Amino acid sequence: MTQLKELMSALDNAAKHPAQVINKCLEEKRLMIGCAPEYCPEEIVYAAGMLPVGLWGGLTSIKNANQYFPAFACSLVQTTLELGMRGVYDGLAGVIVPAHCDHLKCFGQDWKVAVPQVRFIPLAHPINRKLEAAVEYLKSEYSRIKSVLEEIGGQPISDQALSEAIEIYNDHRKTLREFTLIARDYCTTITPSLRHNVIKSGYFMDKLEHTQLVNGLIEELKKAPPEAWQGKRVVLTGIMAEPNEILDMFEDYGLAVVDDDLAQESRQFRTDVPQGTDPLEGLARYWSCMEGCSLLYDPQKNRRFMLKRMAEESRADGVVACIMKFCEMEEFDYPIYKKTLEEAKIPLLYLELDLVTPSLEQVRTRIQSFAEMISRKR
Amino acid sequence: MITAGVDIGSTSSKVVVLAEGEKILNKVIIPVGAGSSGPARAFEQSIREVNLSREDIKRVIATGYGRNTFTGADQQITEITCHARGVYELVPGVKTIIDIGGQDAKAIGIGKGGTVSNLIMNDKCAAGTGRFLEVMSRILEINIEDLADLAALAKNEISISNTCTVFAESEVISQLSTGTSREDVAAGIVQSVVGRVAGLVKRIGVQCEVVMTGGVCLNWMIIKVMEKELAVPVIASPMAQLTGALGAALLAFESAS
Repeated sequence: MTQLKELMSALDNAAKHPAQVINKCLEEKRLMIGCAPEYCPEEIVYAAGMLPVGLWGGLTSIKNANQYFPAFACSLVQTTLELGMRGVYDGLAGVIVPAHCDHLKCFGQDWKVAVPQVRFIPLAHPINRKLEAAVEYLKSEYSRIKSVLEEIGGQPISDQALSEAIEIYNDHRKTLREFTLIARDYCTTITPSLRHNVIKSGYFMDKLEHTQLVNGLIEELKKAPPEAWQGKRVVLTGIMAEPNEILDMFEDYGLAVVDDDLAQESRQFRTDVPQGTDPLEGLARYWSCMEGCSLLYDPQKNRRFMLKRMAEESRADGVVACIMKFCEMEEFDYPIYKKTLEEAKIPLLYLELDLVTPSLEQVRTRIQSFAEMISRKR
Repeated sequence: MITAGVDIGSTSSKVVVLAEGEKILNKVIIPVGAGSSGPARAFEQSIREVNLSREDIKRVIATGYGRNTFTGADQQITEITCHARGVYELVPGVKTIIDIGGQDAKAIGIGKGGTVSNLIMNDKCAAGTGRFLEVMSRILEINIEDLADLAALAKNEISISNTCTVFAESEVISQLSTGTSREDVAAGIVQSVVGRVAGLVKRIGVQCEVVMTGGVCLNWMIIKVMEKELAVPVIASPMAQLTGALGAALLAFESAS
């Protein structure tokens, strides 16, 4: 039990206080590269001997970033730029910014001007990602990023180092998949907030260390019998379920998170990078293998079926759409999966989230109402 | 058994005291809401007027925006569930509820036995809420209660294009300064609120009976325009802004039984 508490505390703390983890890295003189949402080739950074650090904004007020963004930019990019402008990310040797959506496209351009002290490394993914030409193109993009990282690190990145990094990352993905599965059986111990923090802490730690800690947590959890859960079970979908207070509200109203389709969480680890002779090609092909994300071009809109299946397999009582305010990519998908879930009679809650919102009372009312609704369903 | 429901909204506090889950012993509305002395005063007044003390009340449920800060309650339930229960008691055939409160607007789908089957709330914005009507009434120099009668006299209803209350305020002032009549502006204000809320209702699907609750349902013009917009009859809840408190008192009775 003590070991379990220590592991939970270590992972929880790493997510809540990333600066402590980062400072350790600075002391060891290991270079760090920021990875902006949602999909960056972290394996290349890792293979360069550097630490990839996830930049997913934070709960803060906007005082500087509004020079560059209109009020209707999503708070994920606004707060990340704000923190960058305040010097929070000055310890980074560079930041990779993908251009998945219009807001991220602006974010990259703004970063270049507003945070010139942290090198901007652009990344443009192909839209028609199933074509072989797309794989070839993305491989060339990754090759360029590899060259930039070699220049920053002052040493070449070998294919062997890349293959090893992919193996480490795939192992990490497998471990997190196992964690999310087992967490369903321990809804009292693994609260929504802790579940989130166990996953989030991986953005600030060496993946080898994180895998080891999460594996340890899984082993400790397995020592106790599965916990009976009297509350209701939900699946989360969207970009991210922050600020953290909202996950505490889930706990307050007896809602356990039994699976997720969040870009910050499961979408990062539900697919493995194909391994083969050419590691860069494997990374590029990964983009064409992924499914079920609003940022991935999918004319069949299979996310709706994926969500329905996810809710059914996890025996969820409902799905919660965590929609980042002004995220049009998620808003485009919402009516499509809403229809599918309604047809399957799976209750769905639309939760609009904003990292710069000081008041969460409306969110509380929505969550509590949803909990009451699925609890009183006859 | 006596139970009570305390509905603490952003602009008013409402209390219903109920005997045996059937007979309303008292109902009180005080026009100040969350964060004020209103909720405590309303509750105190509601029991004092019928010669009761707190000990006589078996169970109190608080609802509304200020439900979590009211210390006199045994339980907190959201206004969505309470309005659903309250309306179901008053109009058993209800399938859709439109609740326009002081601070937000909600569309609620009702399933079997008055349970909530679907819900949607407006965004964090005053457009389409009672607050919007208050602000606009102030510009027109009328009491909010008189807005419907003024709007009914409109000859050429104007369209208010801004959904944001702050921008709409400027737009209304601009219309008045260019000579648009107050009646035409009032009609535009009603249409603006209805248009915004009807959009919410359509998102959950309009099913009859449609019942409107909250203080705004006292505005007969809003009901009339809403009927036109949704193309179905809309019933004003017989207990208007007290519906949530009634639902809370009923839920208190059911949980205490």
